[in-house]
Amino acid sequence: MTLRSYQVGFGDCFLLTFHYGARRRHVLIDFGSTGRPKDSPPDLMRRVAEDIRRYCEGKIHVLVATHRHQDHISGFTTSGNPGEEAPGDIIRSCRPDVVIMPWTEDPDADTDAGHATNVRELSLLPFTRTLNQMQTVAASIAEQEKHLRFGLDRRVSGQLAFLGEDNLKNVSAVNNLIEMGKAGRAMFVRYEDEPLDLGRELPGVTVRALGPPDLTQSKAITSMRSKDTDQFWMLQAASARFSLRGAADGEGGDADHPKSAPIFAEAAPLAGHQAPPHTRWFISRMNSIRGTQLLQLVRILDGVLNNTSVILLFEVGGKKFLFPGDAQIENWNYALVEKKEAVEKLLADVDVYKVGHHGSRNANPKSIWNGFVKKRSRRPRDGVLKTFMSTMAGKHGGHSADPKDPHTEVPRESLVAELKKESDHFSTQMLPPRTLFQDFELYRARAASRKRASKG
Amino acid sequence: MSPSAVRRTQELTIIAQDPSVKVNGRILTAQVSIPAEELAPGPRGYRVQVIDYDSSTGDLYPPLEYRILGDGSYNDPFKGELDKTLLGDPKFHAQNVYAVIMRTLSRFESALGRRVGWGFLGHQLQVAPHAFAEANAFYSKEDRALLFGYFPKSTSDPPPGQRPEWVFTCLSHDVIVHETTHALLDGLRGRYTDPSSPDQAGFHEGFADIVALLSIFSLPSVVEMIIDKNFIDTRPENARRLAEAPELIDVKSLTVKELRSSLLTGLGEEVGQQMGRETAGEGGVAAARMGALRRSVTLTPEEYVRNTDEFKESHRRGEVLVAAVMNAFLDVWVRRLRGLGSKSSGEVWGASVAAPPPQPPPDAPATPEAGGGQAGPRPDAVAAEVGSGYLNRARVVEEGAGAADYLLTMVIRAIDYSPPTDLAFGDFLSAMLTADREIRPDDSKYEFRKTLRRSFAGYNIQPTSNVNDPEPGIWEPPDCSLHYERIRLDSLMRDPDEMFRFIWENRKELGLEEDAYTRVISVRPCVRTNPDDGFTLRETVAEFYQYLQLKAREVKHLGIKTPQDSETRGAMPDDLEVILYGGGALIFDEFGQLKFNVRNRLLSPVRQTNRLKHLWESEGSQAFPSHDAPAGGSASEKRFAKMHRLRYGVFPIRIENEEAWDHDNLQEGDEEEHREVGEEAGAQPQPAGADENGAAGPGDAA
Repeated sequence: MTLRSYQVGFGDCFLLTFHYGARRRHVLIDFGSTGRPKDSPPDLMRRVAEDIRRYCEGKIHVLVATHRHQDHISGFTTSGNPGEEAPGDIIRSCRPDVVIMPWTEDPDADTDAGHATNVRELSLLPFTRTLNQMQTVAASIAEQEKHLRFGLDRRVSGQLAFLGEDNLKNVSAVNNLIEMGKAGRAMFVRYEDEPLDLGRELPGVTVRALGPPDLTQSKAITSMRSKDTDQFWMLQAASARFSLRGAADGEGGDADHPKSAPIFAEAAPLAGHQAPPHTRWFISRMNSIRGTQLLQLVRILDGVLNNTSVILLFEVGGKKFLFPGDAQIENWNYALVEKKEAVEKLLADVDVYKVGHHGSRNANPKSIWNGFVKKRSRRPRDGVLKTFMSTMAGKHGGHSADPKDPHTEVPRESLVAELKKESDHFSTQMLPPRTLFQDFELYRARAASRKRASKG
Repeated sequence: MSPSAVRRTQELTIIAQDPSVKVNGRILTAQVSIPAEELAPGPRGYRVQVIDYDSSTGDLYPPLEYRILGDGSYNDPFKGELDKTLLGDPKFHAQNVYAVIMRTLSRFESALGRRVGWGFLGHQLQVAPHAFAEANAFYSKEDRALLFGYFPKSTSDPPPGQRPEWVFTCLSHDVIVHETTHALLDGLRGRYTDPSSPDQAGFHEGFADIVALLSIFSLPSVVEMIIDKNFIDTRPENARRLAEAPELIDVKSLTVKELRSSLLTGLGEEVGQQMGRETAGEGGVAAARMGALRRSVTLTPEEYVRNTDEFKESHRRGEVLVAAVMNAFLDVWVRRLRGLGSKSSGEVWGASVAAPPPQPPPDAPATPEAGGGQAGPRPDAVAAEVGSGYLNRARVVEEGAGAADYLLTMVIRAIDYSPPTDLAFGDFLSAMLTADREIRPDDSKYEFRKTLRRSFAGYNIQPTSNVNDPEPGIWEPPDCSLHYERIRLDSLMRDPDEMFRFIWENRKELGLEEDAYTRVISVRPCVRTNPDDGFTLRETVAEFYQYLQLKAREVKHLGIKTPQDSETRGAMPDDLEVILYGGGALIFDEFGQLKFNVRNRLLSPVRQTNRLKHLWESEGSQAFPSHDAPAGGSASEKRFAKMHRLRYGVFPIRIENEEAWDHDNLQEGDEEEHREVGEEAGAQPQPAGADENGAAGPGDAA
């Protein structure tokens, strides 16, 4: 069994391959980025997609999109133009047999309540609708950030730009995933006690979904249970649609980026350069307030989307591989609290851990980490825990030396140090410049290790 | 402008409550009188500056400029304007916020008999009527500003080619007054945002709502609209009657119960309810501020008694205060109306000729209780009685607006008589009673003091002072002789340092804690007028506060119990640093003699024991920041902002999550632990990819 970790900058892209003698089965877990590494070619994502197709010999068996953040799905974007092959078109040409997504992506859950197929889905409706509303808000935040720059703290503006962009709705990628799911088999997963039905695609491999819980299982995944909250986001979204400024005539736009009319039909605002001196301090303060408000909003949204991450545990030949996407505490909570005994037992002897959320502070529950028995300090007999992290420093969060914003840097230094100390740790940041990927052999019945690096 | 033409007041048109309150299909407006001043374009005046910047779009709207009329006043450009203009012209919005804020400020100044400052350093409050596209409005101390948001009326998009309809919070009278009151109260009592009791936590919101409500109901046009609406609702055929004889009103529509339900009409629906209705009957945004206002107005003592526990929470606590005051307002108004017809009260009050006598309203205090405490028949009232079952409409309106205005003065004056730290509602009640008695010993016109005592008792709030003589619940004069020998009287009345000398020299007599940090916050001379005899009352009001930081174990030795068995947090650790506040409001008469020392002793065992228990259970160690924050420091402000948001229903999710994350031990390790690990390890990154042999890379083991 091998793992190819692609260097996509700030994002995730892992290709897991199970070797059945000469036959191979491929599982692609996420393909997205919000920041290319320095010196990487501009068409990095296309090169990655082509490498995936080449390596898989044109066939992906299982495709996993853990959640709909750009840094996990942007690579699934299609060109929409028959003459042009975008990364998403290349992946689509690999005709995945199964597409695994969180239950929140189920397009049928978004229809009206009368058509919901079971009781459980009824409770999901406002949630999935709210997610859509929230992403509309993200679009307006990215837009508003542009004129707010005057007066904004650099830290606030940087985070706004990053989070705004990461939370943008990527309609093309989402549609592509849905279409690929229809062509093959779509699985919209939630926590289940029983393994997923993947016996045909991955014989001999047990795959469990440990998250996300659905709303009947856990209300902690988000505190979005109330209608008030639903309405709050609907209002925000309605405001957001109107504050997306369009052309001067207020015409045009599309479903995701509608153009708005000015707020007052007969009262034109002053042109920017006319702002009189007495207004300037105030304007910069107001921009700063607005920036902070928007940051609060987009952080909520960011957390909610992270908490829709699919958490997958692969088991083969007594070895365990844990891929939690960007799941935060609220997502993990159901498995770790409600199913405490079973899940703790399942996770204790994990061999490979994909570090949650690019190494940020809120996605690596201490109780899981403490429970891992194959950490170096525990002197495991059959190999030390391996940890993999796909990340890029300087993209997101502050530095720990910044007193205003302690310990929000990504990846978090203290976490990285702990990972290095207690596990065989790999981070995409360790790759030399212009390296497209690195291969790892995770498990072989009896064998020496194998490794291969390739120039991209 | 020649001196002879100097005007003291200026009339400007405002929206009486909000655009949803209409009479004959048109938005109800009012012309209000505010202090005249020379305005710069904006309007920008000596206390309020409107800067119409929208941070959601980056637009700055042109300022409103006034034209000077022949008599030296400004024109009121929006008088009688069409609704379309009122809603669609941002310049009217600028005027609306300017006028309502100035009216509120001058209301505070006239009640307190002096100038009143904002809660920030500076004189001019900056106001953004279209601050952002969001259903929110707030006072920001740091930005010296009131910010009003706007949001779409409906969450669904308008039909193609049409503009969305907006709800502007800057057109809601109650929202503007509410926010202005925060800014003023913060200036008067800066320590009311400190961590203390649920009462203090709820007071800012409750007080702001009370001022907002009474400010609206002191507008005769609003009162008129309310009673007309009620009149018509009682019997639909009354609409015709009203049209034929607009000067008469049916007494049956004038009971406490009826009026309470119709006060809601006066509140309108714009900010709170509207959006709920338009989203497919999903229920309103219940947490929106209007919801809280409505709940307060309809909260009867009976309901309160049934659901007492709900109102122990900080963010619901303020509603109780609002309910107690508004209930007193209704009682007084109805009793005054009864006075109008008291010559034949059975006939006028009880029934029209055609209908059977109505049951006494369930609200006991308002029922005809055998003349209990009523003013006797009044000659002018008799004249107002018109036939059986009808009253003169103008007088009914006048009584309502008059009672609201008088009560508004009372609640504002009470602030001067309230302790500067750790306020409890009982303190506020005693303060209202005392402040009113000082200016107007005779309570017989409105009987507000008597009514307030009764109304508050209905919500289990007793005056803090247990004095009975000469009147129940008023503060006691100091019962000791004080040293004035070394004090310069003239300085004492205006100089904080002289005031501090007085306090220090009398620290034992005044009950101060000698070891605590003590500071005089303000010394304010004021002049108040007795409405009965026109004589003035001169007072000087000073406030000081005390601050002491001790370890929990030290506090125990002072007779204050620390929490031992909190269900959620266990016992308070002995070495936790806790902060205690105390202080007093000193009220001096015109001869510089101390009349009242309204104090909260720093080491009061009962109060501090309760306070520590509440803070420990609700906030844990976070309730005690490690150093003395200046009044309204950042920790206090956050708490204040959070309370406000809870009430406004804004960012509800974030707040919950923040707490979950802060306290969740599932989280990836505490910082200290990991930091130490990092320092020890000091490991260099391993460039695994460069290691072609794969000897030490992480991929080896399997």
